Amino acid sequence: MPKIRVQVDPDLCIGAASCVTIAPETFQMNEENKAWVLDHGTEPGGSTYERWLEVTEDEMENIILGAQSCPTLAIFIFDEAGTQLFPDM
Amino acid sequence: MRYLIIGGGIAGTTAAEVLRKSDASAEITIVDEEQHPLYSRVLLGHYLKGKVSRERVFLKPATWYQEHNIEWLPGVVAEQLDTRNKFVRISDQRELPYDKLLIASGTVPRPLEVDLRGVSYLRTIDDADHLLQLLSERGMDARMGIYGSGFIACEYLELFREMNLPITLAYRGDKFWSRALLPEAGELVNKVLVDGGVELHTRAELKDLIGEKELTGFVTPKGTHEVTLLGVGVGVIPDFSWLRDAGVELGSGVKTNQFLETNVPDVYAAGDVAEFEDVVLGRQLVLMNWQNAMSQGRHVARVMAGERVAFELVSSYSINIFGLECIFVGDTELAEADNVHLIGSLESGGITQVFERSERVVGGVMLNRNSDRVLITKAIKNKQPFSELTFVTE
Repeated sequence: MPKIRVQVDPDLCIGAASCVTIAPETFQMNEENKAWVLDHGTEPGGSTYERWLEVTEDEMENIILGAQSCPTLAIFIFDEAGTQLFPDM
Repeated sequence: MRYLIIGGGIAGTTAAEVLRKSDASAEITIVDEEQHPLYSRVLLGHYLKGKVSRERVFLKPATWYQEHNIEWLPGVVAEQLDTRNKFVRISDQRELPYDKLLIASGTVPRPLEVDLRGVSYLRTIDDADHLLQLLSERGMDARMGIYGSGFIACEYLELFREMNLPITLAYRGDKFWSRALLPEAGELVNKVLVDGGVELHTRAELKDLIGEKELTGFVTPKGTHEVTLLGVGVGVIPDFSWLRDAGVELGSGVKTNQFLETNVPDVYAAGDVAEFEDVVLGRQLVLMNWQNAMSQGRHVARVMAGERVAFELVSSYSINIFGLECIFVGDTELAEADNVHLIGSLESGGITQVFERSERVVGGVMLNRNSDRVLITKAIKNKQPFSELTFVTE
């Protein structure tokens, strides 16, 4: 299964919650109306804006779709080698 | 198959992208009034504040269209739709035939009846560039005016505050978002503005602008307000001029059913321009937010390609005014609700409004009560009555 790093920039996040609608297993709004990153609906190690996830191809596609839906492009996705998968550079 | 899309915003471009994925050989054309490839209008606020670079605002490079074999016609608008002969005449006088047509032409800001250099509207990246130009000309002695009481007024508020510029805000009614907020919620927003140092004038309809060539002030029944720049956000209107004789049913938007189909065969609508039958909310309405526009773009492409399923989404929008987090979910029209329940208070600094119709929750507004969002969104989806919800209050 691919391993990806998902990161939310809280400074860019405006709480539109599009990511939560598309990928609720990966994103959840916090008290400050910013998106935490979850690992399959759970938060091992506590709440965070950034984590490594092991996902299926379908899950990865959906997480990227969630990132694409963000109107402020506040979500960044990297592969294991550190290459940015989204947003396209 | 010839797909013609009027509008190159997030709804139209997303539709084109999905159509291309489902049909490699279809002809796809986007008629785009703008000269720029797709960008995020929601990012313009961050761009104005210098949080992101100008190039980061763009969602597609100009080469994307050609790479996906999508014919992109920038800088032109639709001028006439002929649904009998199935073509659209555009502003360069060409007639573009279609098999299926998507109307995703959005809206434009409602203009003031008067104009002077120094008046700013905020919709496109050109508007944002114009505003930056004005700001640099005005320098640090500038005095900012804002006219309006909606989301665009908030964008100006946040920007001018970030720049530490004095702000005079005027609007016609007595509260922000007058179609959505109860008096107490309106008072909370006003309090945040006044506490934030804004010179606020309510019930202050703009009567005139002052200045020879450049703006020096504006006039309301409350007096003359000296400003060197005026940001205007008094609502938006769709351009229906090209649809007038087309036989497409129009209301406050282009009317569609739950499949985003208009009353005319092979003509569809999506995004800010669509007045669609919302199967979750149980009425036909226009929802203007990014999430709705993008989702409808994606959805309508599936319907146009033959997968006829109903559009279903509980969409939301949020914005921050001087630290006050404002979240809108679902149907937040006071006039369309049977009951609007209020949780929290002005004193506590947080208010949630829950909109109920036919004994079920259809919408919510949260002011500094972010944690109510999940509860209300679920209640809308599950069609629950308000009485089943439990809110935390101090």
